[in-house]
Amino acid sequence: MRMLRWLILPLLVIPLSWVLLTGFSVNPNEVPSALIGKPMPSFSLQTLSGETLDSADLAGRPVMVNFWASWCGPCVTEHPLLLDAQRRYGDRLAIVGVIYQDSTDAARAFLDKHGDGGYPDAVDEGSRLALDFGVTGPPETYFIDSSGVVRAKQFGPLDAPALQTKLAMIGVSE
Amino acid sequence: MLPTLGHVAIVIGLGACAYAAIAFVMGGRRRDPAVLSSARRAMYAAFGLAAVASAAMMISLLTHDFSVEYIARNNATTTPPFYSIISLWAALEGSILFWTLLALGWSGLVLHRYRARHAALMPWVGMTLALVGIFLFSVMVWPGNPFTRITPIPIEGNGPNALLQNHPFMGLHPPLLYIGYTGLAVPFAFGIAALITRRTDEAWLGIVRRWTIIPWIFLSCGIVAGAWWSYEVLGWGGYWAWDPVENAALLPWLTATAFIHSSMVAERRGTLKVWSMGLVIATFVLTVLGTFLTRSGVVQSVHSFTQSAIGPWFLAAIVLALTGSVALLLWRLPDLGDRGAPPRAVSRESAFLFNNVLFLGLTFVVLFGTLMPLIFQATGGQRISVGTPYYNGLNVPIFAALLFLMGVGPALPWGRASWSSVRERFAIPVLLAVLAVVTAWALGMRSLAPLLTIGLAVFVGSVMGDEIIRGSRARSRGRGEAPPTAVWRLATRNRRRYGGYVAHFGVLIMAVAVAISSTMAQSTTATLAPGESATLAGYTLTNDRLVVEPLPDDARVTETRAEMTFSGPQSGTLATALRDYPNSSTAIATPAVRTALGEDLYVTLLSSDPKTGSVIVRIFVNPMVVWIWIGGFILALGAAFAIWPDGRRVPAAAPAAVPAKVPARVPAEGS
Repeated sequence: MRMLRWLILPLLVIPLSWVLLTGFSVNPNEVPSALIGKPMPSFSLQTLSGETLDSADLAGRPVMVNFWASWCGPCVTEHPLLLDAQRRYGDRLAIVGVIYQDSTDAARAFLDKHGDGGYPDAVDEGSRLALDFGVTGPPETYFIDSSGVVRAKQFGPLDAPALQTKLAMIGVSE
Repeated sequence: MLPTLGHVAIVIGLGACAYAAIAFVMGGRRRDPAVLSSARRAMYAAFGLAAVASAAMMISLLTHDFSVEYIARNNATTTPPFYSIISLWAALEGSILFWTLLALGWSGLVLHRYRARHAALMPWVGMTLALVGIFLFSVMVWPGNPFTRITPIPIEGNGPNALLQNHPFMGLHPPLLYIGYTGLAVPFAFGIAALITRRTDEAWLGIVRRWTIIPWIFLSCGIVAGAWWSYEVLGWGGYWAWDPVENAALLPWLTATAFIHSSMVAERRGTLKVWSMGLVIATFVLTVLGTFLTRSGVVQSVHSFTQSAIGPWFLAAIVLALTGSVALLLWRLPDLGDRGAPPRAVSRESAFLFNNVLFLGLTFVVLFGTLMPLIFQATGGQRISVGTPYYNGLNVPIFAALLFLMGVGPALPWGRASWSSVRERFAIPVLLAVLAVVTAWALGMRSLAPLLTIGLAVFVGSVMGDEIIRGSRARSRGRGEAPPTAVWRLATRNRRRYGGYVAHFGVLIMAVAVAISSTMAQSTTATLAPGESATLAGYTLTNDRLVVEPLPDDARVTETRAEMTFSGPQSGTLATALRDYPNSSTAIATPAVRTALGEDLYVTLLSSDPKTGSVIVRIFVNPMVVWIWIGGFILALGAAFAIWPDGRRVPAAAPAAVPAKVPARVPAEGS
């Protein structure tokens, strides 16, 4: 029995150092999403231009879903990147903006001011789709490959390298 | 020139600590006062060298010497002098330098104070502190050199982290916290020394108790100041988010608090000794772990800096400190046998024991929650993190139980309590507590947590009040003193007990304030065109005008400021702003907080349209928040009162001042 108490030492030290050691291997700012590797939630939403956008219509193409709001400062910062992405990859990639907890008037005013990329912006009544995606707060962007599986997520505003890396994960590149 | 001087000071500092560690061991074994004295001087020199390096860094920051990488990254020519100076602790390398300065300051203080006493213990205390110094200096010599140069020398620096240059509290909160953190190395050093020399008697506990409470006071103030800072700066209307780094400061605070309580039992009754020693060790290891979590970038938090090479060094330090001290503890376990009998179910000892179990429970909940993301990742799962519901769900009941014990414990006698005395003591407090809850209910309070907290607070408060009244009445009757004099004399003759009451009173205030402010805050978001008003909880806010202009003391920063008039329980004008810093992708909020004793009006600007002058603001009315800071201050004050030197020497055999409560044996004084 006396000797057994020495077992405390390895039992304490080994798991703790192992757990802490694994901490070095990841970027803590990479917020995980339960959706990664799972199919994209399906939806059917009204867009700002009054059309209906159905997730089924997007099948077979890589999709980038961007949650945004006019009241969100970082959304302004990343907006030019979205416009640029639409210009460059619009033929291969479906970009979908989803307006997050905002009025359609404010959203329209935002697009008038900062530019409309020409991709659909959907109105998410009651934040149903945001809940399905598990959005924490705008801006948040999800990357879905052509088979409809969510491959990556950007938490917070996109920057050019992140956009490039994550688009490559769903098979979109120059 | 200066950076070179700073770097040289660090290298010599490492040498001084290394010499001190060896000399302490040699001098201790040979009992050679000359060698020991040279070891001590080497530690003073190490402190001086850390001071030189810190001064070199501060002056280089003030003069914007961008040839130093740290300064190029964390300073700009436009940074105001105040923020330049405090940039010493604004980022990783500088904060380790500051840390070293404080740790060696504590070491010097302790080694100097006990230079002629505790001859058997002090060499080992010195050795442990020197080892801590070696570690800190070597981090700066190898992976985290604060004076690393860059070429070509940039013309302009990056500027300090926007969040950290937004409020003068940055000059207060980190130093307080660091002073507390680094000071906890002192009790650890005494613990190690006691284990090595097998002097684990009650005298050891007295010293360690005092040297735990002093840094504990700073740590408490640092934690409260941190909560205050986050309330004043972050703009979300709250003050505590169970952020990993907040937790990192809380963890050693919890174990240190547990130790402060358990050591009283160990000292009085000779029990709970292994336990107390374990808490001293745990407290130190948790400070290193906290530093690791804060500084290595392995967890996500508002505080965490970028991933850096110092992580593995800290990990090694944790493993070494934990392995070394636990092995030593296990080895010396037979010496730490309890002399006293196991505590009875209803007695002050058992109350202390429960107190400790609960504090340890809190520690585990917080530790597990903080490490959860890492644990899940290590076991191959998704990286998940736990949020406020986890912490509140588990911690609130534990806190409630602790509050209850806070009332019961001090009123129970040592040894064994009889049921009739228990009934007699607690009948009126229980009655008052029930009355308070009923009154609060009648006034419209419906949520469980604040009702429970108010009931417990009134219970504890009236038990303490009863104790003080009984004691002072006995004294004023016996000696014919006026009641206020009697209370003061009673308190100054029993500093530990009455200081403890004051500290507990501070906790009660904080508990009620936290319970009420976290459940009864009101908030709304309003879009206001110029001249438009919003109302919340009796306040009316009017959007007067929107101003966009550069900051007067730093032209690179653009401030978008909403100027508003408010009326209601308080009235006046306020300005809440968003500041765009050139080195930050998101705008930094500058909430307007109008504090009154009853409630705070708290307004954050969310967004604005400069063309129309309309603004979107979030308005909070937070009741009682200021009492959290007041309670924290009282807590620190009570602890300081408890350990304040008496100024009178108690002869070893003198009878205690109040024979009614204090056992005949006078506790060994710590210093």
